[in-house]
Amino acid sequence: MSLAAEAFVSQIAAAEPWPENATLYQPLKEDQILLSDCASSLAVQAYLRMCGLPVQVVGRANAEYMSPSGKIPFIHVGKQVVSELGPIVQFTKAKGHSLSDGLDDVQRAEMKAYMELVNNMLLTAELYIQWCDNATAAEISRPRYSSPYSRPLSYILAYQKQWEVRRKMNAIGWGGKTLEQVYEDVSQCCQALSQRLGTQPYFFNKQPTELDALVFGHLFTILTTPLTNTELAERIKSYSNLLSFCRRIEQTYFEDKSS
Amino acid sequence: MATPDELFCWEGDWGLPSVSTDCLVVLEISIISVGLKSQDQTTVEEKAYAQFAGAPLKLRKMSNPWRSPSGSLPALRIHQKETLSRPSDIIIHLRKQKYNADYDLSAKEGADSLAFISLMEEKLMPALIYVFWIEPKNYVDVTRRWYAEHMPFPLNFFLPGRMQRRQMEKLRLLRGDESLEAGEEVEKELYHDAVECMNLLSQRLGSQKFFFGDSPSSLDAYVFGHLAPILKSKLPNGKLQQHLKSLDNLTNFCTNILLLYFPRDGRENSNQKPLVQHDSGDFDHVPNKRRKQFLSALVALGAMVSYALLTGMVSIQHIQQEALEEPPDLQAIEEEGDG
Amino acid sequence: MGAVHAKSLDPLPMHGRDLGVSPDDLVETPELEQEAKQEILENKDVVVQHVNIQGLGRTKEDLLGYEISEVFNARNLIDVMKKAHVARQRLLRLGIFKEVEVLIDTSEGADALPNGLDVIFEVTEIKRLTGSYNTMVGNNEGSMVLGLKLPNMFGRAEKLTFQFSYGTKETSYGLSFFKPQPGHFERNFTLNMYKVTGQFPWSSLKETDRGVSAELNFPLGVTSHTLKWEGVWRELGCLARSASFAVREESGHSLKSALSHTVSIDSRNSAIFPSRGALLRINQELAGYTGGDASFLKEDFELQLNRRLFWDSVLSASLWGGMLYPIGGQPTCIADKFYLGGPTSVRGFGMYSIGPQSEGDYLGGEAYWAGGLHLYTPLPFRPGKGGFGDLFRTHFFLNAGNLCNLNYGEGPQAHLQKLAECIRWSYGAGIVLRLGNIARLELNYCVPMGVQSGDRICDGVQFGAGIRFL
Repeated sequence: MSLAAEAFVSQIAAAEPWPENATLYQPLKEDQILLSDCASSLAVQAYLRMCGLPVQVVGRANAEYMSPSGKIPFIHVGKQVVSELGPIVQFTKAKGHSLSDGLDDVQRAEMKAYMELVNNMLLTAELYIQWCDNATAAEISRPRYSSPYSRPLSYILAYQKQWEVRRKMNAIGWGGKTLEQVYEDVSQCCQALSQRLGTQPYFFNKQPTELDALVFGHLFTILTTPLTNTELAERIKSYSNLLSFCRRIEQTYFEDKSS
Repeated sequence: MATPDELFCWEGDWGLPSVSTDCLVVLEISIISVGLKSQDQTTVEEKAYAQFAGAPLKLRKMSNPWRSPSGSLPALRIHQKETLSRPSDIIIHLRKQKYNADYDLSAKEGADSLAFISLMEEKLMPALIYVFWIEPKNYVDVTRRWYAEHMPFPLNFFLPGRMQRRQMEKLRLLRGDESLEAGEEVEKELYHDAVECMNLLSQRLGSQKFFFGDSPSSLDAYVFGHLAPILKSKLPNGKLQQHLKSLDNLTNFCTNILLLYFPRDGRENSNQKPLVQHDSGDFDHVPNKRRKQFLSALVALGAMVSYALLTGMVSIQHIQQEALEEPPDLQAIEEEGDG
Repeated sequence: MGAVHAKSLDPLPMHGRDLGVSPDDLVETPELEQEAKQEILENKDVVVQHVNIQGLGRTKEDLLGYEISEVFNARNLIDVMKKAHVARQRLLRLGIFKEVEVLIDTSEGADALPNGLDVIFEVTEIKRLTGSYNTMVGNNEGSMVLGLKLPNMFGRAEKLTFQFSYGTKETSYGLSFFKPQPGHFERNFTLNMYKVTGQFPWSSLKETDRGVSAELNFPLGVTSHTLKWEGVWRELGCLARSASFAVREESGHSLKSALSHTVSIDSRNSAIFPSRGALLRINQELAGYTGGDASFLKEDFELQLNRRLFWDSVLSASLWGGMLYPIGGQPTCIADKFYLGGPTSVRGFGMYSIGPQSEGDYLGGEAYWAGGLHLYTPLPFRPGKGGFGDLFRTHFFLNAGNLCNLNYGEGPQAHLQKLAECIRWSYGAGIVLRLGNIARLELNYCVPMGVQSGDRICDGVQFGAGIRFL
């Protein structure tokens, strides 16, 4: 898309109000979705709820292939399709919904940096545990990932995905890590998040931002998703302020709406 | 510590102590941490280099990754046996040796430091790979040329290409796009991320000397390692450099670190600047050119000779020889007949 | 994709009936007339005593026995020559000989009858391995095609072919093994393994298929049948980021396992420019019962009638139709649906650009019909008659058709009514060029009529090429 066309599209996006039939697509909730995708999807849902934008969550077996970037989740709003939290934040901003307007420059820089910390360490760790830990891959990831497909194809797709993730891990230097080192990285990341949060209700005091949505999405999913062992969740549980942070967001944005 | 640990790094150029981001980061962190440990009140640089030359670390700059014990650069060899090649492992090892660059940081500062390092890895690194290895003109005119000129003879023919393919694969995996190629679309997206990242770093740095007050930490090393190559290299496609130069505090930050910690490289550069340019203009360039001319002439000659041999020049020569030998006989016979 | 566009250039089977030999009564009439051998044997009875094949290398003789046995039944010289010629054609058809020459001679030797003849076939075998190399340049893509062929692999006309195409964007390959039944070349068995990629800009869709198939061909009376099982892993994706959401929803992987049966009767005298005869082809495909994700029943037919009129002109009428029934409540995949329109089906409309669409991407339909009426004439003033000019025809055409989705549950009446509503039709004239005996090029001036909103039309000059045409 040329710059002019992009500007035009964002103008249209800005002009159109948020429609009632906005839809968020993710893999099938019961049988298919994996920890990392579930976390990313929950982060986007939390963000949209914080913005007060209604969205209908739909499970599709081919959500990964429907997504323009190949990543989960993506939203279909009007005629536009936007995937991943970062671009979705940009997109809602163009429509006049933003959570980070009240921050100053340094705070915004810090917010973006912490968001990348979550992507760089938590998300990568989730992917590592899903696909590079043999027990988790064999018992959970491969069977769930391939559940919508028929027999020979399911094997092919699951191993193909595993191979792809392992290649990525090698490329970013995680290939040689042991599971213990990965847990250590998760602890380090949580330590950093816990330090940053301190005793505040949200990362930037009273108002939630996209960083809160992202952290909530990942931590809450890790805490509530059963894996082959509970080590990953245990690492988070040792930071009590992060636990109460998750509970706070769940109560504020998820519970009262569902009841 | 009978034998000092050895740190293997890429050679420097463009006024930088090393051309590789990873090497710059490791180098800078080693200097800061080693410098911090000895709490003498001499100037930081002298102390750092003194320490470097002395017990804890021995620095080896080279332009042949095959001479590194791990086959790649940077690498840290501990006690002549174990070798670490991942920058993060090297830093952790240094930390275990009590060379901790983040010794003075508070817990919250440590958290911020981790966050901004992640920010750079996610947003700046892909653009860096693109700028140096994927952008075709930059790669051919600068990166490949530099590596080809600095590597020893047989390696310089295939190693730069192999490094380029690895970087390409890395970028593809990072972006999750199997068929990614150099192009306007990708360039725009990567530069957008990188520019945003630089702006954020600039905002975070503000008017401070270092990211956390007056003393450097590992975050400063990371920022320096990622930005200095952009700032100092002379790339034909220099959009990122232009943007970086417009952010005064980051530019000053980089030059400041160069002056403080790598005065030799900086000085070398400033002293030799005209000389270096002369070098590349006359001395450095021409012998290469001569060698190339000579080689190509040799190759052409070889090809021509073998072509001639294969297509029957030999037999023509043979016939000519026969022709030269036979006529006298014929003449003799004719003469006899006549006579 | 749907049956309306042919995806591969399968070699067309040779027409069995032209070569088929009617079974003669095996009545041996050994008339021992004592006549000189120099006598003209034209109308006299003869006996074929020996048939020899010379020049065989790795070909097994039992295979050839079936092909040449008819020659023994000949009872006069003309008959011998005819049957020897037929036998030669049958040998060449096996695709294992480069050349076959026939020698007819009087019998010699101890047991030679006075009216005995020997027929000798001198054959030259094709090399054990043949290769080909091509480069192709298409739109925005170049590719290199390597082909390897092992004709007559085990000596009984088996054939192994391998094709590999390495493109700037996609690679594809195909490996196939062909085995005819000795003596009945039309009864044959083929195994295939392939990977093909296709881009369908009218749907903003790209498709990568990897599959295996087994195919059995056999004639039955005047009909020829094909039974086929195919297992294919299909990967669909959007061609561009701007693809419509309806196409985006179809992206992803699926596995199709389908049994199909095709029956055809072809009495035309030529596949491209027939002047008489008819073609009826019925194809049915059942997917899902042998596994896989897709389950549907697909029926498809094609009918063509040709009749010669005055001055070498030919009137040709064709009718196509098809229906796709989803089974088990699953919606059908975009790749299985029917597509209609384009320069070789309903002319005057864009390529496969009729019927249901979303944001400019055509989604295909579950039922269609199309009919065409053509008047083919030789070129005006017949330039190049008997040679180059015979590759061309002018034609006047009237095409019509419709394509739609069916809402199952309304009953057959509603379906028929739906197909009868909003008929697209067009008329025009143009020039047709025959390419070999498998494909043709058309340059037409078309006037599309009955256009519905959303259809893409091609008003005026339209150029097209195809192997299957309405």
